[in-house]
Amino acid sequence: MQTVRMALNAMATRFELLLHGDDAIMLRGAGEEALAEIKRLEQQLSFYDPTSEISQVNANASKEPVRVTPGLYSLLRKAADIHDETHGAFDVTVGPLMRCWGFVRGRGTWPDEHARKEALTKTGMDKVVLDDGERTVAFTQPGMALDLGAIGKGFAIEEAGMFLRECGISSALLHGGTSTMMAIGTPPHNEDGWPIGISDPQDDSRMLTSTSIRDEALAVSAPKGKAFQKDGKAWGHVIDPRKGYPVQGAALSAVAHSSATICDAISTALLAMRRTESKQIQQKFQGMRTLCAYHDTGVTDLVSLEFDLTNPTNQ
Amino acid sequence: MTKHTVSRRAFLMGSAALSGAGLVRAANIKTRSWPGNRNDVRCGIIGYGPQGREITATLARVPGAQVAAICDTYAPMLRRAQRDAPEATRHEDYREVLDNPDIQAIIVATPTHLHRDIVLDALQAGKNVYCEAPIASSIDDAKAIARAARNATGQIFQVGQTYRSNPQHRSVFQFMRSGAIGKPAMARGQWHAKESWRRASPNADRVRELNWRLDPAVTTGLIGEAALLQMDVAYWVLGELPTSVHGFGQIMAWDDGREVPDTIQAIFEFPSGLHMIFDATLASSFDDAYEAYYGSDSTIVFRDRGKAWMFKEVDALMLGWEVYARTDRFYKETGIALLANATQLDAQNVDPTEDDPNVETPLWYALQEFMDNHAFGPYPPAANWERGLEAAAVAITANQAIMERAHRDIDPASYTLD
Repeated sequence: MQTVRMALNAMATRFELLLHGDDAIMLRGAGEEALAEIKRLEQQLSFYDPTSEISQVNANASKEPVRVTPGLYSLLRKAADIHDETHGAFDVTVGPLMRCWGFVRGRGTWPDEHARKEALTKTGMDKVVLDDGERTVAFTQPGMALDLGAIGKGFAIEEAGMFLRECGISSALLHGGTSTMMAIGTPPHNEDGWPIGISDPQDDSRMLTSTSIRDEALAVSAPKGKAFQKDGKAWGHVIDPRKGYPVQGAALSAVAHSSATICDAISTALLAMRRTESKQIQQKFQGMRTLCAYHDTGVTDLVSLEFDLTNPTNQ
Repeated sequence: MTKHTVSRRAFLMGSAALSGAGLVRAANIKTRSWPGNRNDVRCGIIGYGPQGREITATLARVPGAQVAAICDTYAPMLRRAQRDAPEATRHEDYREVLDNPDIQAIIVATPTHLHRDIVLDALQAGKNVYCEAPIASSIDDAKAIARAARNATGQIFQVGQTYRSNPQHRSVFQFMRSGAIGKPAMARGQWHAKESWRRASPNADRVRELNWRLDPAVTTGLIGEAALLQMDVAYWVLGELPTSVHGFGQIMAWDDGREVPDTIQAIFEFPSGLHMIFDATLASSFDDAYEAYYGSDSTIVFRDRGKAWMFKEVDALMLGWEVYARTDRFYKETGIALLANATQLDAQNVDPTEDDPNVETPLWYALQEFMDNHAFGPYPPAANWERGLEAAAVAITANQAIMERAHRDIDPASYTLD
């Protein structure tokens, strides 16, 4: 049994890939192809690269319908479907709000109320017209922008995972920035799957809980990290697209499902949701397991829906 | 405000002189909308590896193009094709694509050594052909392709030497040819990556086919398969073809039984006496890929698919416009950004010192040129069969020198047809 470790800097994060198999040369070849696909998708989906396909859409879709590649179209269609399923809690048009809250290139700042309301009028997947026949994207408002930051990483991981399987890989773990990951098979000598620790959003040095995954994906989201303080409260970089304010729902969410794309998007949406709404979401996607941590009562309240906590080490 | 406008005008006067008429259309005339269906050029993609996929994805955004058929000999690649271009028909035998009278254009993106038969058959079938570079891995094959392309009057034959169609490269080309670097001293280029070049498949026969780049019998090595586009720019902007090459090659990182070096250095000699050194490696990604042209007045560096900067010597004459141009810091050096389309950007109220928001990739511009040629041509493309033959001759001879760790003259006859 041989092991190959690889890494890639892309999508403003670090991807790591761990592969097990009989032939290290073959493992590396497969890994390189998978990581090259992530790099290719970064170029296609980057909000900041003016030559990216998404930048071309953002620059032109308010003037006329823009035809896009089938790959990007199916991702946007999926984003629209998840938007509907989550009643708008997941929304890739959140770009103007992110900019208004100072999170695009900075650490955030309290916006002018007029600017916030203005940004809210430019937000909403319902203001994006997707034409399945022509495969075009159009904005009904000027100043709108698609930002795939909350779904692109999961999509890239899912696509890369497909490449690994095509190359005959049967044991691998791929993650982007430790927040979205995908497992193929199980690691050697561990039939349960790949053990994954989830750190406490209140204290990174502590483990909140742990689980294991096999042949599925897992995404963890928390609004902390990029955040600012106001009135004794932390305001993080995940904006609730329905209200136009930083999310005030779960302090952490974890989602396990067969699709890394869906995990990535739903883990973000859960941050904008209350407990009851979260439960409805989990029931909508077959095989989905979710875990949310709430701090609204002053103590950490863990709500697990089918999410097996293999080894809680919340000491 | 007025003052700002005036100084910007002054800048534009300078930059207008260096942006040739041929590239004017790039930024502002292209339309994003889909121009209709019946007149679209129906394209067949032969070879659905990474380059075939990239071409397919790009064609989806080039006005007037439609990917109508995709051919690959390996089933998983055709499954990818189904996802990437659901409307296209899928084939394992390229002759089926050639036999389809509705297909006007064939894009050849197979391994290099397989180009010859496909290109010859496609031209024979009356198709217009876009062939990836290098066009061939032997001089014989390159000449056969060039000859067929020359004889196919009324048909388009374009080589994937994409920088030849890139507005940014064309702009800086004009600038260099106007003597901006002063008296040329030397040139240097590099292509650095950290990757094994191994490809994996659960199927043993497929592994052998996939790893053609590491097969000494058919590969053109790093100089041909990685560095070719950069070398093509080198003798384009220098205005002369190399006469000899001294090559070195080592296996420094991937000692897995391969014979093809993972690290190379090649020194090219040009008729004017100028020498260019090019190094490429699969062992280190440091500083990526770039080319530098050193002269008595300045050095010009190309990187990032066509971005360019000028680094002036302190005793060089003022050009006038550079005080208004954007500068970027590179450690202790200051580079003056050389931007194409400054005049057009001003017309669109975009600050010409900013990067063009409508800029596309070199591959997009190359494919757009190919499509335009269907509408307005046929005329010889910027990367025609002559440019393809020259690039193949340079790459093949340099790769031989590298494999032999030897000095080789480049036969002038290899650059031309009889």
